[in-house]
Amino acid sequence: MERIPILRMGEFLLVTIQVDMHDRLVTALQEDLTSQIAASSAHGVLIDISSLDMVDSFIGRMIGTIAGMSRVLDAETVVVGMRPAVAITLVELGLSLPGVRTALDVEKGMVLLRAATRRRLGEAGDGRDEK
Amino acid sequence: MYTTEVHQKSREEVIARQQQEMLELSTPVVKLWEGILALPMIGTLDSARTQIVMESLLQRIVETGSSIAIIDITGVPTVDTLTAQHLLKTVTAARLMGAECIISGIRPQIAQTIVHLGVDLGDITTKASLADAFAIALERTGRAVRRVRAGS
Repeated sequence: MERIPILRMGEFLLVTIQVDMHDRLVTALQEDLTSQIAASSAHGVLIDISSLDMVDSFIGRMIGTIAGMSRVLDAETVVVGMRPAVAITLVELGLSLPGVRTALDVEKGMVLLRAATRRRLGEAGDGRDEK
Repeated sequence: MYTTEVHQKSREEVIARQQQEMLELSTPVVKLWEGILALPMIGTLDSARTQIVMESLLQRIVETGSSIAIIDITGVPTVDTLTAQHLLKTVTAARLMGAECIISGIRPQIAQTIVHLGVDLGDITTKASLADAFAIALERTGRAVRRVRAGS
């Protein structure tokens, strides 16, 4: 069975979806990703869906679920490169994905992810290591 | 009888064509600055128009890689719950793509109507004028406008 690769980039995980998603693939991705986050103790997940040109309500909801699961495992999620048609479809389906961070492309997504993790690490350390 | 039918049909065609042209004319998406788009809306917002506006805005966001879009509703005469719903949809779609929307040009009457109707604009940034919206957009992209010499 085919699977979506999860690449490790430093403290972040990069997931690029380049095939059409079907339900079993998404469920497999969800399992792989959660176990990878736990294994590598990643602080951020970047999901690139720029090649995805069809979504249904199940996949839309799964994107939200994956983000929620990552947050529970202490990793920020950024979804990047959503196409206009996909965005319109999700809105019309009533899925506004609250709580999911978004960015236009991978580069901007990385900047966002770095800023988010830095802010969080800064809060955790009370800024003491800035001396 | 036949003449009347032909006449009527040709007039309907003209009206349909004009409507189509008006749709295309009335929804320009302009680039204000690197990474900042503006969408000056003029006229009443119905479902068909909002659909076109939404599509052209999202398309331009992708083309220009803009992270901020300003929707200016100075030219929108009335806002009802449906219009507000359409606006919210557009803003949400843009957010899903990674761009932030600012709504500007809200006239006092429209502000009153929105609150009276109980429409919740959530955490969308709203500004009274396009200038204010542009200022906040520049600030968010890390830019500022300053005076280089004393003007008149």
